[in-house]
Amino acid sequence: MKIILSFLIAGAIYSSGLRADSAILAPGYSPLAFEAPKAGSYALSVIGQAANGSVLTVEGREVQLFDLMSDKVVLLSFIYSTCSDVNGCPLATAVFHKINSRLQKDPEIAKKIRLLTLSFNPEHDTPEAMNHYAEGFRNSIVDWQFLTTRSEKQLRPILDKYQQSIQKVYDKQGQFTGTFSHILRVYLIDTKRQLRNIYSVSFLHADTLINDIKTLLNEVENVRVQKNQKINNELVFQAGDNKQQYQKKDYQTKAIAVTDRIGRPADLLGNIQNPQTGLPYISVPKNNPISAEKIALGRKLFYDRRLSLNNTFSCAMCHIPEQGFSSNEMATAVGIEGRSVRRNSPTIYNIAYAELLFHDGRESTLEQQVWAPLLAHNEMGNPSVGYVVDKIKSLPDYQGLFEQSFAAQPNMLNIGQAIASYERGLNSADSPFDRWHFGMQQGAVPAAVKKGYQLFTGKAGCSSCHTIDSNYALFSDNRLHNTGIGYRESMGIPASTQKVQIAPGVFVDVDMKDLASVSEPKISDLGRYEITQNPQDRWKYKTPTLRNISLTAPYMHNGSLSTLADVLMFYNQGGVKNEGLDPLIKPLHLSKKEISDVVDFLKSLTGSNVNRLVSDAYSAPIGDHN
Amino acid sequence: MKKYSTKMILKACAFSIAALSTSAPSVLADETCQSPYMAKITGQEDFVYVWTLGMEGLGDEQDKLVTVGANPNRADFGKVINTLSVGGRNEAHHSGFTDDRKYLWAGGLDTNKIFIFDVHTDPAKPKLTKVITDFVSKSGGVVGPHTTYALPGRMMITGLSNNKDHGGRTALVEYSNKGDYIATNWTPTDSNLGGAAKTGKYADGYGYDVRVLPRRNAMFTSSFTGWTNYMMDFGKMLADPEAMKHFGNTVVQWDLHARQPKKVFDVPGAPLEIRCAWGANHNYCFTTTALTSKIWLIYEDSQGHWQTKEVADIGDPSKIPLPVDISIQSDDNMLWVNTFMDGMTRAFDISDPFNPKQVFEQKIGSQVNMVSSSWDGKRLYYSSSLLANWDKKGKDNEQYLKLFSWDGKKLTEQFSIDFIKEKLGRAHQMRFGAYSLYASK
Repeated sequence: MKIILSFLIAGAIYSSGLRADSAILAPGYSPLAFEAPKAGSYALSVIGQAANGSVLTVEGREVQLFDLMSDKVVLLSFIYSTCSDVNGCPLATAVFHKINSRLQKDPEIAKKIRLLTLSFNPEHDTPEAMNHYAEGFRNSIVDWQFLTTRSEKQLRPILDKYQQSIQKVYDKQGQFTGTFSHILRVYLIDTKRQLRNIYSVSFLHADTLINDIKTLLNEVENVRVQKNQKINNELVFQAGDNKQQYQKKDYQTKAIAVTDRIGRPADLLGNIQNPQTGLPYISVPKNNPISAEKIALGRKLFYDRRLSLNNTFSCAMCHIPEQGFSSNEMATAVGIEGRSVRRNSPTIYNIAYAELLFHDGRESTLEQQVWAPLLAHNEMGNPSVGYVVDKIKSLPDYQGLFEQSFAAQPNMLNIGQAIASYERGLNSADSPFDRWHFGMQQGAVPAAVKKGYQLFTGKAGCSSCHTIDSNYALFSDNRLHNTGIGYRESMGIPASTQKVQIAPGVFVDVDMKDLASVSEPKISDLGRYEITQNPQDRWKYKTPTLRNISLTAPYMHNGSLSTLADVLMFYNQGGVKNEGLDPLIKPLHLSKKEISDVVDFLKSLTGSNVNRLVSDAYSAPIGDHN
Repeated sequence: MKKYSTKMILKACAFSIAALSTSAPSVLADETCQSPYMAKITGQEDFVYVWTLGMEGLGDEQDKLVTVGANPNRADFGKVINTLSVGGRNEAHHSGFTDDRKYLWAGGLDTNKIFIFDVHTDPAKPKLTKVITDFVSKSGGVVGPHTTYALPGRMMITGLSNNKDHGGRTALVEYSNKGDYIATNWTPTDSNLGGAAKTGKYADGYGYDVRVLPRRNAMFTSSFTGWTNYMMDFGKMLADPEAMKHFGNTVVQWDLHARQPKKVFDVPGAPLEIRCAWGANHNYCFTTTALTSKIWLIYEDSQGHWQTKEVADIGDPSKIPLPVDISIQSDDNMLWVNTFMDGMTRAFDISDPFNPKQVFEQKIGSQVNMVSSSWDGKRLYYSSSLLANWDKKGKDNEQYLKLFSWDGKKLTEQFSIDFIKEKLGRAHQMRFGAYSLYASK
C-alpha cells in the first residue's frame, strides 16, 4: 500500500500493479485539464448540515467531529488504509497531500483549513494503524488529522449521516475479503458546519478544492456583489417571452429573466374610487363594499396556485398580468392536467364595467363568476365549493385574513367577493386616445390615430358595437353578436393540411390525418345558444372591450386571429356569411392605409397605468405548495 | 439479501472513471446515458423500473412505478412483478438514480412532485420513501422537474417551465441526496445572460435535459417548451400558431464547477435529449431537435472552444417525425434515435460525429418514445408514452414495454407487455435494477 501511494504521489501515471479497470488515473493525479474557475468568482451553495459523531485520534483520544469543525474550513474524506483501488481512497489521500504541499507556501490559508481523513474500517484501522498511515503526510502548517472509530457500531451513524455508501466485499465462500466497495466522497465543510461541496472521483482535484476553500474564506465580499443587482427597466412589465416577429427567419429573442419580475403594490382602491380619464364611475355591489383589505386578500387568492385540485392553477395562470391579464401564448386556454378549454382567455382589464361575463355572457356578477373556473373540470378542477373553502381555511397564511376583511371565516360568498374586489381594481385608461379625445390634448396622438378614430366611428362602423360615449368609452355595448367566426369553426370544411411553424421562419404543412392521430375530438362551441337554447343565438359572442387591446393577442373568442391587422381584414371582408350574421357585419371596403390607421388607433388605447398594475401583480405572492 | 450469480460488477471506487477512460467496457448504452457518477450494471439486469403515467378510465388511474422482471434466467422474465401507485396523475416523466444508486428520483411535470424510491433495500420491490412537494416554492418558481441527474451527493434537476406564466423560461435546480433544496441556476435570457455569451440570435431561457463532461468542466442544457405546451393536447397545440412560437431554440454550455452559463447556442426546433461521447478524447455530445428533426453535434473545436453544428436529418423533417429519445453506445459508434410519430427506431453510425449515417430502422409500434439499452448494447427496451396529452388517440394509443435483442444487424422481440391490457397506464421512462448492485453477502 505504501509503495503504491508514494508512487502515485510522486506523480507517476501508470502502475502495472493496478487493476486493469483502473488503468486510467483520475484527474486528481494529473494537472487539471481545464482552467479552474477563479476563487471567489462563483458561489458554493449550502448543501446541508455536517454531521457529528465520536471518532478516535491517532493518539486514541475520543473527540467529536464537531470539535474539529467551526474554527476552520474542513475537508473530510472517508478511506480505509488498505484500499488498493488507485482511484479510490489513495486518490483522496493523494489530493489531500497535494493541497497540504501546495499550502506550505500559503500559510495564511493553511492555518484556516483542516484536513480530516477518517477510516471506515475500524477493525483494521486502529489509531496505531492510522498513525502509521499518516507518516509522511504531517507537517506543522496544515492541520491534517487521521481519524478512526472505536467500532463499526460507532462508525455506522456517521456513515449514514454523510450518506457514505460502504459495502464489504465477500468471496464466493462468503468470507470478507478485506476490501470494500464504496463511493469515493470528499466533503467541504464551512465554519458554520455546513456542507458546501461534495467531490467524487471525477471532481477531486487539488486546484479546484483550493479554489473552493478560498471561495469560502472570501465569501462575505462575494455575496454583496450579487445582491447589488437592481432591475429598473420598464420592459419587465411586458410579456417576458415575447415572440413577435417569430415568423421571420431573422427573429431574435428579447427574453426577460423570470427573476426580473419584481414589482410593488399599487393603490388599487384609489384606482376604483377615482377612475382614470376615459372611464366612468365604477358601480360596486351594495353587499360587497370595496376596501383595501378585500383587494389585498383578493389579490392573494388570484395568484394562489393552491386554489386548484393539484396546486398547479391560479386565476393568473390564464390571466397573466404581463400578457394583458390574458394569455398571449395560446389561442384557446388549457386548464388543469392540460385539459382543453374551448375559448381564449379574456382580459380582465376593466372587467368592473362588464355587464355580462364569459364570452357567452352567462354570468352577470364577478362575485358569482369566480366560482365557474374554480369548479370547472377543465380549468382549476376543484371537486366542490366545500373543498375550496376548507382548503383555504387550512392554509396557515390565510389565518385571520378573511376575518379582517369580512368579519367571517372563508365561505363561498366572501371568497368570490374578495377576488371580485381585486379584479375591480384592474381598470385602466388615460390612454393616448383618452388624453386626446377626453382630455383635449391635441398632441397626445399622431395624425394616423385621429384618422383611425374617424374610420372607427365612421366608415368602418366599429363603434356601433365597441361604443364610445360622450364622457367615457368602454368600447363595448355589452351585447352579443354573430360575426361568423364561430360559424366558420363549427361548420367550415377543414383544409387537408395544417401549416405548422417548427422554428423561427420555418414552416411545414402537416397532413390533417397525422394531426388527427394526436388530437382529441374538438368540442363544439355554439356561443350564446348554449345559454338560451334559441337558434337565433347560435355563434353569438360578447363584444369585448378594446382597451389595452394591443396587449391581449391573439384575438376573437377562439383566439384564431393573431394580430389586430388580421382582425381588421376579417371585418373588412364582412366576417363570414351565415344565416345569423349580425346585420352590422358587412364588407367595409377599407384600404390598406385605412386598415393601418384603425390599427394605430387601437394601439392608442393602452392605459397609462398598465405598468403600475402589472408591477402590483408582481408584488403579489404566488401561492405554491410548501 | 439474496445473491444471484450475475455478471454484474459494481465498480465501486473506480466506476466514475469510466467517464474518463478508454479502457471502460467496450459497449455501453443507456446505462451510460445516465450520470457517470453512479454504479453501473455491466451484465444482465434483473429489473426494469418503468415510471408510468396513470390514465383516466384505466385501472387505478394514477401514476405508478412498475417493476418488470428482465432476467431471462428467472421465472419473472417479462412479467410485471410489482406496481407502486403514488397518487394522482402528476405527468410522470423522467427518473434518475442518485450517485450511490440507492434511490430513484422520479419527477412529475405537472404537479412538480418528485417521488423518491428506495431501490436498494429490495430491488424487486421499490419503496416510496419521500415525496418532495416544495419544488416550486423552494426553487423560486421553477415548474416541471424533468431530468433528475446525479452529481456527487446531489441531484441536478432541470425545469421546463415556471409558475409565473407557465411558459418556457426556467432553471436548473439542485437538491441534496437527502431531498433538501440547494440552489437554483436560471437559464440565461437576454435581460440576464448571467455572464454567458449569446453566440447567435436566441437566449430564450428554456430548459429540458442536462448532461456533463467533467473532464472538460462542461455542462450542457437543451430546451423544450413550457407547461402550457407540454400539457396541451398535441393536435390542438400543432394547430395553434401562438403555441408553436413557444419552443426552445437553444443549447447552453455551463461551467460545471461554477454553475455559470458560458455560451448560448442557437439550435432551432426544440433540442431535447443530450448524450455525450465516452472516449477520453471525444469532447462532444449529441442532441436531436424534436420539431426540425435534426441531429446536432455539440463539440469542442481545436482551439478549445465549444461549438454546435447541425450534422444530419432524421427521417423526412418535412413530415415532423418527431425525434424523441436517443441512446449512445459507449464506443461512440452508434446512436439510437426514436421518432414518435412513425413509431420507428433508427440507428445512426456516428463513428464520424460530423457525418452521422442512418444504418438501420425498424417500426416498434404505432408510437414510440424511450429507448434504453443494456450495458453491452445487446438488449434494447422500448416504451410508448411521450406525454399524456401528446400520445396518440384511439387505437394508435398503444402503451407498452418491449424488449428486443440486437445482434448488430436486426432487432428481435423478446417480450412485450401491453400496459393497457394490464391496466397500468402510459409507459414512460425505463431504468434498470439488479440485485448485484446491492448484494453484500
